[in-house]
Amino acid sequence: MATEHKPSITFHPEPRNLPGGEREYMMDVSTSDLEVNMGPQHPATHGVMKILIRTDGELVTAAQPHLGFLHRCAEKIGENVEWLQYLPYTDRYDYLASMNNNLGYSMAVEKLLDVEIPQRAVMLRMICVELNRIASALVAFGTYGLDLGAITPFLYAFREREWLLMIFEKICGARLTYSYLRIGGVFNDAPPGWLEEVSHFCDVFEEKWQEYYDLLMVNHIFVKRTADIGVITKEQALDFGLTGPMLRGSGVDFDLRRDVPYLRYKEAYDAGAWKVPVGSGEKGTVGDCWDRIFVRVQEMMESLSLVRWCLENIEEGPIIGDIAKTLKVPPGEAYVGIENPRGELGHYAVSDGGKVAVRCRVRGPSFCNLAILEDIMPGTLLGDAVAIIGSTDVVIGETDR
Amino acid sequence: MAALPIALNAAQAALEVASSEGGNLTLDLLKQYAPESVPAWILPLTAAAVSVGIVVAVIALLALTSVWLERKVSGHIQCRYGPMYAGGWHGWAQSIADGIKLLMKEDMIPLGADRALFVIAPALVLGAIFGAFVAMPLSPDFFFADLHLGAFFILGMSSLTTIGVVMAGWASNSKWSLYGAMREAAQVVAYEIPLGLSLMVPLIVAGTFNLLDASAGQSDWWGMGWYIFKNPFVLPAGLLFFVSSLAETKRAPFDLPEAESELVAGFLTEYSGIRWSFFFMEEYAAMYLMSLMAAVFFLGGFESPFLHFAKAAELPVIVCNLIAAVTLITKSMIGVIVMMWVRWTLPRVRIDQVMTMGYKYLTPLALLCVLGAALWEAGKVLIFE
Amino acid sequence: MKTTISARELTTPREWVQNVWDGLFTTLAGMRITGRYLLRKPITIQYPDERMPIPDRYRGIHYLEQEKCINCLACARACPIDCIEMDAIRHGKELEWVSFSVDYQKCMFCELCVYPCPKDCIHMGTEFAFVTEDRSELKHDLLSFKGMSRDARVRKKEAEEKKAAKAAAKEAKAAAKEAQAASGDQPKEEGDDG
Repeated sequence: MATEHKPSITFHPEPRNLPGGEREYMMDVSTSDLEVNMGPQHPATHGVMKILIRTDGELVTAAQPHLGFLHRCAEKIGENVEWLQYLPYTDRYDYLASMNNNLGYSMAVEKLLDVEIPQRAVMLRMICVELNRIASALVAFGTYGLDLGAITPFLYAFREREWLLMIFEKICGARLTYSYLRIGGVFNDAPPGWLEEVSHFCDVFEEKWQEYYDLLMVNHIFVKRTADIGVITKEQALDFGLTGPMLRGSGVDFDLRRDVPYLRYKEAYDAGAWKVPVGSGEKGTVGDCWDRIFVRVQEMMESLSLVRWCLENIEEGPIIGDIAKTLKVPPGEAYVGIENPRGELGHYAVSDGGKVAVRCRVRGPSFCNLAILEDIMPGTLLGDAVAIIGSTDVVIGETDR
Repeated sequence: MAALPIALNAAQAALEVASSEGGNLTLDLLKQYAPESVPAWILPLTAAAVSVGIVVAVIALLALTSVWLERKVSGHIQCRYGPMYAGGWHGWAQSIADGIKLLMKEDMIPLGADRALFVIAPALVLGAIFGAFVAMPLSPDFFFADLHLGAFFILGMSSLTTIGVVMAGWASNSKWSLYGAMREAAQVVAYEIPLGLSLMVPLIVAGTFNLLDASAGQSDWWGMGWYIFKNPFVLPAGLLFFVSSLAETKRAPFDLPEAESELVAGFLTEYSGIRWSFFFMEEYAAMYLMSLMAAVFFLGGFESPFLHFAKAAELPVIVCNLIAAVTLITKSMIGVIVMMWVRWTLPRVRIDQVMTMGYKYLTPLALLCVLGAALWEAGKVLIFE
Repeated sequence: MKTTISARELTTPREWVQNVWDGLFTTLAGMRITGRYLLRKPITIQYPDERMPIPDRYRGIHYLEQEKCINCLACARACPIDCIEMDAIRHGKELEWVSFSVDYQKCMFCELCVYPCPKDCIHMGTEFAFVTEDRSELKHDLLSFKGMSRDARVRKKEAEEKKAAKAAAKEAKAAAKEAQAASGDQPKEEGDDG
């Protein structure tokens, strides 16, 4: 992205003869594009990401995301610590959905171990993962409002998220880096009264959801800022390997929870407990920013009904399977992809039969989703660029790992 | 540096007061109580100095109050308290504490900045807005300049702030600042038109540009003869004026020059400390100015039943003036609170939408209102006379 | 270049009216919601004065039940970042504590050190604020006392006395045996001459 340096004012060599005998000198004023580093310290990049944009006035003509400011060698650490010891590190790549990360890693190791998970642990996992999905979608929704200049919905979203974090704090003692789901089950059983509180949360949250919808989602300015902006067509979405709400926002009905089922999602789906929200172009074109953010907002409600289904079906029992204290994983390799709030979070683990993984690879959804920015950002205004970055809902901890 | 424009304004105010034919409460009082030995030319100057001192104090106080108010309003809208510690009762001294902090901060000028412009810009912005207040009466008998073209003068002075903002954006030598400055220029040019046009509607009804006369024209119907009740086109024009004044004062949803999530802080990116607070003060002073204009031309000015009955009861002039001032400030305070309420509700519009809204929506609607109001007034004249 | 700015397209009169209506209506709907909250009591609390209850399972600063600890290093081995260091000198069954420190520059409060403990003696407490002026102070010593506890000292003394007595008895026995062997058939003389 080198800028061509042209002199800003050039004279045409030949003057033009006017009818009255006068001569007119023609002048050409050319403007060169302005290169702006959006980030690494910028409020709209949701962390330390840099987007090198080239602008012609307010119009963005080229954009290039630069990653790697937050690289912490998570995968290499996974090859140097014991299987269980890697669990706290998984919290830290997508720090808004730590439960889901725990689940992905645990499931990959469990696949190698071939161990059976007790039913209560499965249900607790599902409840926690779905509540975490709501918390993550709340942040996505709130910060998206913040990107577009609406500050109040952000605080409303964080109010409910705060409650969720308190619920998590009660079951596992941490507010952000939970390390709650472990290989073979979960660490702790639900404390007394916890399931009732979750049920109470579900009832209250429904009203609040309507408030978000009325306050921001249908606001005319919000609609005009997001509809028809940053359109990703179905083909583009598939070509770029987008997953999660980015893919569903473009109208592709694909959800790993239903299509590559794990835990008891398939059972819940067949029981009619939840649906897969897909972008329909309600306010503009299919695959615009509004669709993407609305898929996330709808997913909150779907997760809520999933939690309700789990609360109905949870039963007493053990919370951890037959797992040795010092794990020795049989040799082999396993890949497990789960539906993270941001898309497919894949864990690939290779074991040689020892206490430490030989290879521990993570497929981060944010990283894969970010690649499309370069294609959809040119041709938009600076304000739209912010809206598009926000609609990808990246977590930089995950892109860089 | 900040003192220069203020001093200029003071001089101008002095000239205006000196040339006006009495009616100023300060001047009257001085004339009444000053000893014979004092030369006559000193009295108008003293009156001007006192008046300017009072208005600067009042504006500074209002700005400080409204900063605190904004934080409280935003806090309560967002289910939190806002400032609660400084000063005790609901953090009333927060703005003072902030002001002291800003004064103590290091005075920073970026290395590549145009130093002269960088320093002048905040002073110009604040000076312009103080200048606009010269034509704003605080009560029927207490004012600094009884200008015949008062409304015109205020609009002109308040759009002078744009020059300061553009200057700040250019002088900062930052790309974000430049974006902010360009946005401000485009936006203000676009919104001057609907702002002026929507103000035309009550001006047509009032038949004067003078703020005192316009206010006095609403004193019938027991002080409730406000222009919004007198002509059906004034109310929509008031809404248009409100929206345009939001854009004029760079308030959300039109805070594009700042746009903290897009342009970091727009033209303010490189400013800090007391210079930054000058821009901040200007924003709040401009909010008050626009609300005062709206109060004078749409919501009855000084007039309310309280003032009407106070006058009917023949209370002392000073009490009547006090009632009038409190009425006006209360009305403008309501306007300011609504501005804050809107700010904490809406997302920001995009720059092309700002332009579209200004040129394609507000301007035609304002023109319609002007036409309607003019026809209504003409019809009234034709039918009743 | 493809531009995606919708406002550049022409607006039909119908859309124009629709835009004005939608803009007004949704703004007022939003202001109704925010206005309702403006008049409500806030939900936040004034932090240093009042605090949220901290649940029992909270993962804060560790605390150690030193009496129970047997210096088995299970927690140190379980730690993913090796932030636990412990050292104790063993006197028979009793431990003389030298150090048991957690480096809070590294610790990520994952609670993995708590589960493997055979004596259930390391826990995570509810204290979360741990502020120092110097980084070196972040290496926090969990020990409530250094060296040996009074009980342990008493026990050790008792054990030593017992041991000494045993040794003395053994010695005496051996000496007696020797004496017996030396003096042939003379009877044994016990060594209490006082």
